[in-house]
Amino acid sequence: MGQVMGSYGARNVDLYMDDKPSFEPQTGFSYERKQREMVAREEELVSARIPPQFRDYCSHKLLDYQVCRYKNMPMLYKCAHEKHDYLNCEHQDYVLRMKEFERERRLRVREQRLVGAA
Amino acid sequence: MASTLLKKAILTNPQYLRKTVGVLCNGVRNHWNYQYKPGAYPKTPEERAAAAKKYGMTIEEYQPYPEEMGYGDYPKLPDIGADSRDPHYPYDNPEFKRNFNEPIHASAEIFGEDRYDPAMRPRFSVGRQWTWFLGVVGGSMALYFYLEDYKMGRPVTAKQYPGDGPHYLFASK
Repeated sequence: MGQVMGSYGARNVDLYMDDKPSFEPQTGFSYERKQREMVAREEELVSARIPPQFRDYCSHKLLDYQVCRYKNMPMLYKCAHEKHDYLNCEHQDYVLRMKEFERERRLRVREQRLVGAA
Repeated sequence: MASTLLKKAILTNPQYLRKTVGVLCNGVRNHWNYQYKPGAYPKTPEERAAAAKKYGMTIEEYQPYPEEMGYGDYPKLPDIGADSRDPHYPYDNPEFKRNFNEPIHASAEIFGEDRYDPAMRPRFSVGRQWTWFLGVVGGSMALYFYLEDYKMGRPVTAKQYPGDGPHYLFASK
């Protein structure tokens, strides 16, 4: 049920899958958050013809993986590590999105509580 | 060249010439367009009688289509599907259940055994058909509109792309 009911509890605060966070990035943090950095350059991705939906923060690993595939073309098992690296990065990206969702939900619940108290 | 061929045909193979002339005469004289076309709409009783005789019917059973339908003097035959005809009668054309010189219905193509019979008894009544149709379609739509308010998804925010402005990790600098 975790997948199907995943965003069900967030309906109370009008939050659904693939919504954009509405609070300031620093709201609710006691420390300064580290900014995500894009390693691959746009020109490299264009040159490698990586489709736009894959030009995310993990695209430098995708580039490595594709370069490896190109170099070892019939022997694709040699690129297992590159592929693993890339998929791990995508997994961490997804976990970050889940964290952002939960943060957004909690902040909205808190805002509701404060408005209700006032 | 042509005259040699013609001479050769006439002298050496008269059968060939006869066949050619026969085909040409048939094509010119029995042109389907006016042969198959019905006559003008009969207005006087004499014209009606002539039309009935033309289609091999008695005056009592001959009944033309209304003039504005454009069928001319073609007879309006009863709408009887081939399925409703007697299967044991020795027809001249058993495959069509039709006798020689029997007038053909103006919409004969739909009353064949493979198509439609107006006297057909449907397996399910019309009311039952509508009930099932509206039940399935209406039920699906009701379910759709009811579930509009219960959209579910995975608990993630939109995917972060570098072009959408700064994004932050859950870690300190």
